[in-house]
Amino acid sequence: MIRLAALLALALAGGAHAHSKSVTTPADGAIVAEAPEIALDFDMPMRVIAFTLLRGGEGEEGVEVETESESGMASVTRYLAVPAEALEPGPYRVEWRGMSADGHPMQGGFAFAVDPEAEPEADD
Amino acid sequence: MEGLAPLDALTVLAVAAKAAGYAAALLAAGGAIFLALFREADALVLRLARRVAVAAALAGLAVLALRFGIRAARISGLGLDGATDPVMLGFVWQSPLGAAAVWRASGEIAILAVLLPGLVGRIVPLLGALAVAVSYAQVGHTLGEPRWALATLLVLHLLAASYWVGALAPLRRAALAPGGAALLHRFGILAAGLVALLVVAGTGLAWLLSGSPLALVGTAYGWGLLAKVAVVAGLLGLAALNKLRLVPALQQGRPSAARALRRSIAWEGAAVTLILVATAAITTATVPPANL
Ligand SMILES: [Cu+2]
Repeated sequence: MIRLAALLALALAGGAHAHSKSVTTPADGAIVAEAPEIALDFDMPMRVIAFTLLRGGEGEEGVEVETESESGMASVTRYLAVPAEALEPGPYRVEWRGMSADGHPMQGGFAFAVDPEAEPEADD
Repeated sequence: MEGLAPLDALTVLAVAAKAAGYAAALLAAGGAIFLALFREADALVLRLARRVAVAAALAGLAVLALRFGIRAARISGLGLDGATDPVMLGFVWQSPLGAAAVWRASGEIAILAVLLPGLVGRIVPLLGALAVAVSYAQVGHTLGEPRWALATLLVLHLLAASYWVGALAPLRRAALAPGGAALLHRFGILAAGLVALLVVAGTGLAWLLSGSPLALVGTAYGWGLLAKVAVVAGLLGLAALNKLRLVPALQQGRPSAARALRRSIAWEGAAVTLILVATAAITTATVPPANL
């Protein structure tokens, strides 16, 4: 039983995944002057079912910031969320949940900060 | 992170349901295969095989419905309330799980035909067993490339596994039945070839899915797989013991042979259960924190 539980814990800790590649805008950990839109780019279509933008640093409860997305819950390779109002300076967190094209439940999150003094983002 | 606790409970539930689904599928398909291959077995043995196949097919259909709900709940993020959300259920239906469910349900219903007499009662369940195996090639990471190699290996792996799993209960009964030793002997001859196929196909799948042997020690997926392989090795040892020692002892009419063999087959059943749970855990490790 212990072995079983250990195995479970092990497997659930995360695994080799064919469809886990995704790129975010802003990048995780980035400090940006402004964030007019928040994008999730996937290498395989993803149905984003829940997308939450929170103002607040790690460990904080956070205040939800309203966003709008044209694609809704459609299956897309680029999910765009536009904040209802320009983001005030401060730390932000994004949490999302969805289903990949192969039907698997997926979730992710990242953090960034808005600071008007920040250097303009370099293209990579 | 918020919502992680209910998600974890749901993930464990998903693993349990998936393992139960595997067991039902293998027992149902394996029962159909056993009935087709070993028609000469004692009437009591055949009756048990038929009962197991029917019960497993019905359980499989129930688990399938349950898994739809669990999947909907997991993607919804609403906890168990999401299980009956029509929008979420619609998404699951449109996903590969929907296509797989059609194949699997058709196969499990076809396996119920073991209750019918004559040729229909033998051919239809075999087609059902094939459909159940094919259903698993419609979902998961075997959908990736090389598609045909992965699908073929998976179907062969499942058919060989179901031959074995479906025969456990009938063979355990056969150890006590007249003509049982001959039946067990015949099972063992076929099993030797099929187990080789099972191992080769399984290794091929693991190789293609993990990319490189190095990935096996570097990732949770790999460690899970290695744990599964360890239990499989133990199971193969038991099977070899049965084939080389216990079945010959039963053929020679040794008094304690039947009991030892029945105990050994029960252990095989326990090992199979562990393997199915491990497999379900490995393949459900797909709530990956998508490395964002
Ligand atoms: Cu997947």
